[in-house]
Amino acid sequence: MPEREKLDLGGVPCPANSARALLKLEMLDDGDELEVLLDDGEPAKNVPAAMSEAGHELVSSSRKGPGWVMVFRKSS
Amino acid sequence: MTPRKVYLDNAATTQLDPRVAAAMSAAEQTAWGNASSVHGAGTAAARAVERARMEIASRTGVSPDEIIFTSGGTESNNLAILGLAFARKPAGFRVAFSAVEHPSVSEPARWLGRLGAKVVRIPVDARGLIKLPALENALKAGLDLVSVMHANNEVGTVQPVVEIASLCRRHGAVFHTDACQSFGKLPLEPAKIGAGLVSVNAHKIHGPKGVGALYARKGLKFDAIYRGGGQEGGLRSGTLNAPGIAGFGAAASLCSAEECARMTLLRDFFAASVLCAIPGSALNGDARFRLCNNVNISFEGVSSGSLLLKLSAKGIYVSSGSACAAGKNRPSPVLLAMGLGRERASSSLRFSLSRYTEKRDLTFVLKELSKGVSAERGNA
Repeated sequence: MPEREKLDLGGVPCPANSARALLKLEMLDDGDELEVLLDDGEPAKNVPAAMSEAGHELVSSSRKGPGWVMVFRKSS
Repeated sequence: MTPRKVYLDNAATTQLDPRVAAAMSAAEQTAWGNASSVHGAGTAAARAVERARMEIASRTGVSPDEIIFTSGGTESNNLAILGLAFARKPAGFRVAFSAVEHPSVSEPARWLGRLGAKVVRIPVDARGLIKLPALENALKAGLDLVSVMHANNEVGTVQPVVEIASLCRRHGAVFHTDACQSFGKLPLEPAKIGAGLVSVNAHKIHGPKGVGALYARKGLKFDAIYRGGGQEGGLRSGTLNAPGIAGFGAAASLCSAEECARMTLLRDFFAASVLCAIPGSALNGDARFRLCNNVNISFEGVSSGSLLLKLSAKGIYVSSGSACAAGKNRPSPVLLAMGLGRERASSSLRFSLSRYTEKRDLTFVLKELSKGVSAERGNA
C-alpha cells in the first residue's frame, strides 16, 4: 500500500525547497506520495518543475490559504 | 622505510577522512552548480547543501532552518557576537566572555568595546572552569550576551553550559557557546543546553577546512555581517561552498559515541603514563570535565617550544598552545588565565588525539617524550 508523507516548505527559498522535497522523496519507495506545502509565487512554479525533471509525477495541486498544497508521486 | 609520524595536534585541525574526501569529490562532480540557482545544476548543489544541513540539524536536535553555513568557527563566532550586537545597538550592547575564550570570540567582543559596548571578561579557576558567581554578578549588573565555549581548545575543560545557560535565561541574556572543539565529541543539543547561538566547524572532525555553521535559535533577532546576495536567510551572503558543506555533513555523520569512548581510554592511558613516567609533570585542566581527546601537561624546567621541536624532529606533532597563538612565542594565555604562572604556562604541551590515534603511537610518543624532557633538563 503506497504511503503519503507530508513536508512543510513554507518560508524555504528556492531551490532549497526543491532540494528538501527531493531528499524526502529519496527516503520513500516507488509509488509513495509526498504532500508538500509551498509558498505562492516562485516556489509554486520551481518545485514542480524540479520534481518533473527528476522524474516524479505531480498528482494534484490546490490552493491552501496563501500557499499551495502539491502531491508528488515518487518514481525512480 | 618511511619514518614514523604521529600527529597529536587534532585540536588544531584533523586529517581529512577518506570517506569525507570521497563525499566531497562526488559533490565536486555532481553539485558544482550555484546552490541559489533554480535550474537542475543549482538544485543538485542545493540538494548536497540541504542533505548536510539536515544531518547537522538532526545531530543537534534543531530545525534545519536554524542552521546557517559559514566559512568556519571564526566566522560563526563573529556572526554570533557582532550579529547580535548590530541587531541591537553596539554602543549600548553588553557582552561577557570567559577568560579562556578563543580569540575569535574575545576579539570581536573587544572590537565592540571600541564601539562603545560594555565588555566583561569572566575569570576561570585553576582548572579552567568559569567562576559562576562572577558570571552571576555580571548578569545582575546587566548583560545582553554571554559567550562561553563548550570545551576549551587548549586544556579541554568542559564548561557547565547548562548552568551557564540557566543563569543567562534568568537574567535575560542570550547564551552563545563556541562548540568547535566539542561538536562530534560531546552531546550537543542547543535546546537542551538552553543556548541561543552555537558555533561549530568541520575541520576538527575530519572534515574540510573553510566550512562551519552557526545555530541560531528561531526567532532570535540578529543581523548579517556579510551582506550581498542574501543567502542563508539573508544572514550570510555568499555563494555556498556546496562540496565543502557536503563534506561537513559527511564528517558529522561519521562521529560516534563509541569513537569518543575509545579516545577517552587512550587519553587516560597516555596521561597516566606520562605523569607516572616523567617526574615534574603535571596535568593542566580538569581531570573529570575534559574532552575525550585532550591531554595537556606541563614539564617542570622545560621550554615547551624547544621540546615541541625535539618531538617534531622525531615525527611527533603536538602543540604548545592553540594553533592561532602558536608562533607568537609567549606563554599560553589560557594557562595564564587559569593562574598557573608563566613558568608552568611556558612548559606545557597539548597532545590531542583523533580517530586515527592508536595505543602503539602513544607508547612511541611516551618514549620519545621521556628522552626529550631529560635532554631538555640536562641542557638547562
